[in-house]
Amino acid sequence: MPLSLSDPNWYPIASSEDLPFRHVYQGQLLGRELAVWRADDGNVNVWENRCLHRGVRLSIGINEGQELKCQYHGWRYANQSAGCTYIPAHPADAPARRIENRKYPIREAFGLIWSAANDDQAYAPFPGSDGHDWFALRPMPVNATPEDVVAGLARLAPDDEPADLLPALVVRVGGVTWFVQPVDAGRAVIRGLLPEKPADELATLRHYNELLTKLRDRLERAAARKPAPEPLQPVFEKVSADLSTMPDIAVPRGNTLTVVVKRKWQSADGVIGFELADRDGKHLPTFQPGAHIDVHLPNGLVRQYSLTNGPGDLSRYVIGVKAESASKGGSKVLVETVREGDLLQISEPRNNFPLRRDATRTVLIAGGIGITPLLSMARFLDKSSLPYELHYFTRNDESAAFSSELGVLHGHVERHAGLARDAIRAKVAAVMGPYQFANHVYICGPGAMLEMVQQVAADLGWPDEAVHFEYFQNDKVIDSSSAFDVELARSAMTLHVPAGKTILETMREAGLTVPSSCEQGACGTCLTTVMEGEVDHQDVYLNKTEKASNTCMMTCVSRAKSDRLVLDI
Amino acid sequence: MPQAPDPITRNLWHVVAATDELPIGLVETTLLLDTRLALTRGSDGEPVVWLRTDEENGDEIDADSVLERLPVRTAYGYTWTCLGTPDAELFPIPEFAEPDRVNMSCGSIGIHVSAPRAVENFLDMGHFPYVHTDILGSEPHTEVKEYDVEVSEERDEVLATKCRFIQPMAAKSAVGAMEVEYVYRVPHPFCSVLYKSCPEDETRRDVIGIFLQPMTEERCRAHLLQSMIDSTSTITDLRRFQQTIFGQDKPILENQYPKKLPLDPRSETPIRADKSAIAYRRWLSQKGITYGVIPQAS
Amino acid sequence: MITLYDFELSGNCYKLRLLMSILNLPYDIVPVDFFPGRQHKADWFLRLNPFGQLPVLKDDDLVLSDSGAILAYLAKKYDTSGLWFPDDPAITAEVLRWHAVADDITSTSSAARLALGYDYNFNIEKSQRGAHRIFRLMDEHLWFGEKAGRDWLCSPAHPTTADIACFPYVMLSEEGGISRQDYPALRRWTDRVRRIPGFTVMSGIFPAGPAKVD
Repeated sequence: MPLSLSDPNWYPIASSEDLPFRHVYQGQLLGRELAVWRADDGNVNVWENRCLHRGVRLSIGINEGQELKCQYHGWRYANQSAGCTYIPAHPADAPARRIENRKYPIREAFGLIWSAANDDQAYAPFPGSDGHDWFALRPMPVNATPEDVVAGLARLAPDDEPADLLPALVVRVGGVTWFVQPVDAGRAVIRGLLPEKPADELATLRHYNELLTKLRDRLERAAARKPAPEPLQPVFEKVSADLSTMPDIAVPRGNTLTVVVKRKWQSADGVIGFELADRDGKHLPTFQPGAHIDVHLPNGLVRQYSLTNGPGDLSRYVIGVKAESASKGGSKVLVETVREGDLLQISEPRNNFPLRRDATRTVLIAGGIGITPLLSMARFLDKSSLPYELHYFTRNDESAAFSSELGVLHGHVERHAGLARDAIRAKVAAVMGPYQFANHVYICGPGAMLEMVQQVAADLGWPDEAVHFEYFQNDKVIDSSSAFDVELARSAMTLHVPAGKTILETMREAGLTVPSSCEQGACGTCLTTVMEGEVDHQDVYLNKTEKASNTCMMTCVSRAKSDRLVLDI
Repeated sequence: MPQAPDPITRNLWHVVAATDELPIGLVETTLLLDTRLALTRGSDGEPVVWLRTDEENGDEIDADSVLERLPVRTAYGYTWTCLGTPDAELFPIPEFAEPDRVNMSCGSIGIHVSAPRAVENFLDMGHFPYVHTDILGSEPHTEVKEYDVEVSEERDEVLATKCRFIQPMAAKSAVGAMEVEYVYRVPHPFCSVLYKSCPEDETRRDVIGIFLQPMTEERCRAHLLQSMIDSTSTITDLRRFQQTIFGQDKPILENQYPKKLPLDPRSETPIRADKSAIAYRRWLSQKGITYGVIPQAS
Repeated sequence: MITLYDFELSGNCYKLRLLMSILNLPYDIVPVDFFPGRQHKADWFLRLNPFGQLPVLKDDDLVLSDSGAILAYLAKKYDTSGLWFPDDPAITAEVLRWHAVADDITSTSSAARLALGYDYNFNIEKSQRGAHRIFRLMDEHLWFGEKAGRDWLCSPAHPTTADIACFPYVMLSEEGGISRQDYPALRRWTDRVRRIPGFTVMSGIFPAGPAKVD
């Protein structure tokens, strides 16, 4: 029977021991080349052996532990999701669109790695697999058709005890179960399992290796006398249409997903940790350091929380929530009423606080709960062995969250508890020092602290593009007294924005779907390109240079100083 | 059986050898567009190219005895031929004629990839830190800044300008890291020329050319040209530098698949840094080149 | 002072650069235009090595050729640890056995690379078949080595010049059209070699990423 590209069967494609940490194994199944790698957390990834960018084999890339790095342009792909987390050519941008490599199903069992060409068939252990402590033999690649290899294995059986031929190219001969991995039309790998560990392992392995070597030589001599079969021609899936063009702004997706609260714990005085996971144990979507999720709260409010996770850690999202009694509605509900086992709706991660990985020095400055996105950043920098220092300012020792997570980092992590405002200022100035080329600072914390650090940075000569910050919220009083017109260039529509109403609301009323999230000028989701008119910026998302450029605005709070604005919508 | 090349490709001038390296009175054999060629040089030093029949590499031959010849042109130190009806002119590289330049071939290297893939790699800056580590780029300076790309109607070539990149060792004569500025031209579907800031004279530019000889749709030979302003390095030094660079690209190119360049925008994932590659792919598509590419399904 | 007559794209020259980098030995390079200049057949070079082959190494007045011989010389003279070319007679024989395999890899894998990339008149298919035959044996040897807790080609717990001698043209085999997909243990060994402290690359060989630290 000829091989089929759409064969749904599971086949072994490697031995477990073929996948040490920090190695990329090059495999192949039914004509498709595979890059197979084990992450530092033990998870095994089976991906198409091809970077989506320019088609270079990922098997010549680098297994960085939780991400795979392509050798050509250094694109990073996350453990589990195969989603691209970083494009070094554009270090200031979060990879705008969902670039996700093709993955294949994977199961590790009986000392072998199993996969299939598609998801059509659920994995089932091979018949008779129960109740044994299987022992894997040395695999033997053979340049012959898989069916000839099956026939060759069957001929190993003595006449009085014929071989058992099982589905999916399995042959049982005496005590050995042989699996034939269909590599390609004319290539196969024989993978054998013994039902238990033999007394003399090495001698047994040598014995079967000799047997298979002889079989291989016979099969290859026979194959050489026949015309070589045409290799299978797998088709590469096309990337989605939005990936084939080059949009300049990220348009976040509106999908929500349901997660279960796996764990809720007191991480520090006044900080509650939440671990959120998929209900069925599947991995969660790819995120980048600095990313946040919207959490839809039981009382109808939506709040943003930064992910603290490190690279390729997609089995759960961990967020930190400030349990302030004065907190209005949002965090309070989460802290007081949400319990372990509860379900929550969250958005896919968005990133308005992207981390550049092209800095010669990265300074992370956290104030209070602002540690959350910076913890994630520190973990990414840590895994890539990039230099960074993290300064964590808290009111007192007891309110320092995520201590154990911070403790295992290799970079310079320093805690500063109970400093007065002036002392914090002096410390920040000392830590940052005068600006040097390719230095970047990231700040997250209370509004007053962010403004202070920005001021210190400016005094020390740090340019705006080297100072990255994320506000939790916009504490400014929004002045919505102006009235003006907005012309939406692409929608060919002019709308009047009256006093008391935002541009965003006006557009929604006119039937437009516009992405937004915090709706208080803090998160950056509704960022819009301004083509004409003068903007009255009232957000805390854009930096001074961006505001002065008058080329973009946040439509949820900012307004017009001129009578008319032309937006690229 | 290989497909017959498209008429545009067939009528192009194609590079086949470094003229000085062709032995006088001895046969050299090569492959162009799946066609076996034989080459030699006459006693006058002029190259002769013809369709190979039973000649073998190294056979003695009198160039005058070859009657059925293919058209030949010598330019930039290389020998060019054509299997169809060639244009009168080959693309210009005016700098080559400047008297104080050191012009040299840097070897002709076979690569198992299509010629257009090799051109595209030559246009690419994003790979410098990862493939030419500590020479043309190094982490963490990985950013590809905005640059300009146009297809010049008048000259029918792709032109990328204001390409800037921070390089630790931009040229043999460079000392220390600097931001270099590049201009890339693609004046021929299988050739590209780059101009880069010259460490020795800031008013002028070093010129590096890559001329690809499409042997088959999935195999080519890269012929490298350097035309440098460099008063200190030897030819051996300069060749070594360029070969080091190209030798680093080779395993990347040979690990790309499919080996033909896909012209459908949805077959790979472009980013802003790839503007020149996108323009090049479109230009090939519009010209109707099908050799060495996977044409966009219409 | 050591002087290496060197061609960047030569795996045989790289063997010496690699060992000298690992041993932290300073040396000068005299570039030889092997391709396309064919300087290794020039009179001045033939006076250094009448066989017309790279590399040649000069250590003060001593002129040496053949990469395997020079590896042994450098290790015996400059490796104070004595681990790269151990004195034990049995191990010396083992190392020399693999030096011979390295030469077989050169005459197969490197020949295929020269034929495909540099216009040499070698029989490509025969060279490729020969390389696959050697790689199969190496993969088996290394696979059973891993089972027995041996990371390197020879029995000591430390790599030897045998690993250095065999490494380059294994890594460059794809340029000769020889895939290493069927040799997973050989691929793992190339990761280990690339993680030897002091490792350096040549054009065509990329470094391995850092190993996992616990």
